[in-house]
Amino acid sequence: MEAKLIRLTVNGRDETVVADPLATLQDVLRDTLQLTAVKSGCGQGGCGSCSVLVDGELRLSCLTLAERVEGTEVTTLEGLNETNAIVPLQQAFVENYAAQCGYCTAGMVMAAKALLDRNPAPSRDEIVEGLSGNLCRCTGFAPIVRAVQQAAQALSDTGEEAS
Amino acid sequence: MSIKQLGVVGRNVGQRDLESHARGQTTYYEDVHYPRMLHLKMHRSAEPHARIVSVDTSAAQASPGVVCVLTHEDLPGKKVWNGLAAVGVGPEDEPILAFDKVRWRGEPIVAVLGESAEAARAGAAKVKVEYDPLPGVFDVEEAIAGAAPALTAHWPRNHYIYPDDHAAAQIRYGDVEAGFADADHIVEDRYQTSPIEQAPMETNGCIAKPGGDGRITVHTNTQAVHFARDNTAAILGIAPGKLRFLGGTVGGGFGGKVDVAVEPISVLGAMRTGRPVKFKYTREEEMQVSSTRSAWRLYIKDGVMNDGRIVARKITSYQDSGAYLRFSSYGSMKHAGHMPGPYTIPNVWVDARVVFTNRPPSSAMRGFGVMAASFAIELQMDKIAKTIGMDPWQLRLLNAYRNDDMKAHRKEVEDAAMVETIQAAARLAGQELPAEYQAMTSWDRKAG
Amino acid sequence: MPELLRPASVDEAAGLFASHGAAAAILAGGTGLLRETHPSDDGVLIALDRLGLDRVESRDGGWSVGAAVSLSGLRAAVPIPALQAATREIGGPAVQNMATVGGNLFARAPFGDLAPALLALGARLVFASADGEEEQPIEAFYAGWSEDGAPRAGLLTRIEIDEPAGAVSYLKCARRRYASPSVVSVAASVEKDGSGAVSDARIALSGASAHPFRCAAAEQAVIGAGLDDAAMAAAGAAAEAAVTPATDPVASDWYRRRMAGVFVRRALAALA
Repeated sequence: MEAKLIRLTVNGRDETVVADPLATLQDVLRDTLQLTAVKSGCGQGGCGSCSVLVDGELRLSCLTLAERVEGTEVTTLEGLNETNAIVPLQQAFVENYAAQCGYCTAGMVMAAKALLDRNPAPSRDEIVEGLSGNLCRCTGFAPIVRAVQQAAQALSDTGEEAS
Repeated sequence: MSIKQLGVVGRNVGQRDLESHARGQTTYYEDVHYPRMLHLKMHRSAEPHARIVSVDTSAAQASPGVVCVLTHEDLPGKKVWNGLAAVGVGPEDEPILAFDKVRWRGEPIVAVLGESAEAARAGAAKVKVEYDPLPGVFDVEEAIAGAAPALTAHWPRNHYIYPDDHAAAQIRYGDVEAGFADADHIVEDRYQTSPIEQAPMETNGCIAKPGGDGRITVHTNTQAVHFARDNTAAILGIAPGKLRFLGGTVGGGFGGKVDVAVEPISVLGAMRTGRPVKFKYTREEEMQVSSTRSAWRLYIKDGVMNDGRIVARKITSYQDSGAYLRFSSYGSMKHAGHMPGPYTIPNVWVDARVVFTNRPPSSAMRGFGVMAASFAIELQMDKIAKTIGMDPWQLRLLNAYRNDDMKAHRKEVEDAAMVETIQAAARLAGQELPAEYQAMTSWDRKAG
Repeated sequence: MPELLRPASVDEAAGLFASHGAAAAILAGGTGLLRETHPSDDGVLIALDRLGLDRVESRDGGWSVGAAVSLSGLRAAVPIPALQAATREIGGPAVQNMATVGGNLFARAPFGDLAPALLALGARLVFASADGEEEQPIEAFYAGWSEDGAPRAGLLTRIEIDEPAGAVSYLKCARRRYASPSVVSVAASVEKDGSGAVSDARIALSGASAHPFRCAAAEQAVIGAGLDDAAMAAAGAAAEAAVTPATDPVASDWYRRRMAGVFVRRALAALA
């Protein structure tokens, strides 16, 4: 089988990439486009560190074939800072010390964004459920949940969007 | 320098890299991209204990995309090593790539370098190793009993021998047998912990890139960058100055990234091919092959008086080091150093042994050697409390060490805070203590 | 290299599935299959993404659910609380957006938590083959499982779910809430007559045996009785005796057997 040309939009930019057969979206993002905020903690859908949005929906890029995202809009963590300003959700992670080694952070922020985009005022329980596919081995989950709570509160105070 | 001069006590201090993490701008070792980079995958032992009859790499070498195959014959320097050999600990017992025998399932035998991770994986799967299986031993006490096969020639009885020719890290203080004879109660039990994987979110890995100046740059997620460089140089028989190790943000370590497991073979691959080489553990390798916290077995025998005073404590412990030494002798020294726990006991006897089995080698994890000791001792304290019908808080306060007490290691206690810590914990837990226990302090033994 | 085939019609897909035989694997959401697939493996992957199987159609008295509907899509379209509860406890949100209803029915223990809910609901599975469509009760599908997993009868295209006549409950026993493989999962539905006695019952388990199944012995223990403590305890005991669980890194067979009994009892208590 030959490599294929895949057209998609990534963080608002139209991209045409060459992808090997069975290449994953993670391969395209990390290796071809060098969007390295996308992490690769397990390669089998167990850790959530590779989470991105595809057409606004949370997906695991390690288990998504590149060929099947043709024509979609993909958002990675880098896509939140197109204007270089830190967004409220990221600021909430900083203020709540919601990262230690930082390896899970990109996936956590994207899962939180997916949650807040469809549910701007989640309960604590809904936040826990929304982040349940993302593992963190060092900080503990409590500061991360607090960060998302703070972000939701900040958004409802200002009427802004999450990111 | 006083605490006041430090200027940070009592204040929140920003974590320098938090915003970088939140923006996804932190660079981890594998976020560096090089053209023509090769990927390394390891063919590993399928047997826990076997003689290697033959290794056939021809199918791997012919596999599409495979560029280079490395066996022990390709190692230019050492064939076996130990990370602490440079500081006088040893002997060097662990093959870099297995040659005559394999001693645990997962032991590296052949490294395969391919144009892609998949080419290397498929190639490594085609290495054929013929084994002559040997009986294995998987239990620490069976390992040191006479009938078990010796894993290596270094230790005929499968336990480590400390440089002073002792079979164990030992404490001998007072006379435990006399203490047991005087005691109102004898309390004994056996305690066992399990191996625990550090499970960092980012698996062990590195990228070794040859430069035009004859040096090789290594991007690594080791927790010990200079240690990794010096050991890599020693293993390969090259000058440390030929290696430029770049650490950086580690995606979680917890003791699981100090084994120098990936750098030497990656550097060798880069030397042989002239191309950048990446070696990243899969999640399966991280969980099954990378070292774990050791499993420990402890036997504790205590002599206790009716009033709760512990007058003798005898401990025999076995650290399961797996097939090789790595840092286990250090772990058992720390383990022994933690005994007999934060209590003043006049008669103490400890033998802390390092035992070799056909399990994956174990290594560091948070509180190396200490966690298993605390786990067993505090369960034992609860058992004593139950046996003599005493409140467990009071039992601990009564026996907690005080300033100027002599510890079993013949060092006087300084800056004790055990009594005050237990009292504070009791307050937080809503545990009422009798007035005499509330009045205890870390200085009261001297006063009294 | 496994070839990725993306047929454009159900007939074409069913034909490819038949002609490639054991070399073919069905790629739906990919959350199970792609974990085990390497680019240099042989065989073909038949993708379902161009077949229009990702839709739920509401019909009189129930729903026709395409086999490639995602778990979150099922939750949004079919308002049966027990079924929605089952989807919420499979993986995290990303997995639920990717994994499909059809794919989950083929998952091997300790995965496959949707099956007990669909067994309790009396769902029917529709398979396409070269001979046309065939519909079968979901329990008949699982009765055909062997040690190698599902029979290769045809291509699962849709799942027919009727509005439940009685009350339905679903409970999962796992090591933590959400995104955790199952120790066991249990679903129960009962219908009661005018006196409050159980006139019909469906009790199903996953993770407790080689494949999901309806536990007839547990059902018999409550049919004809009221849902009182004695009947529920008898159903739990019957389930404990009927299951043949495996030991894996999630749980021992000993623990699974006991949890099967406990969770059957609790699933019934939720309907009492």
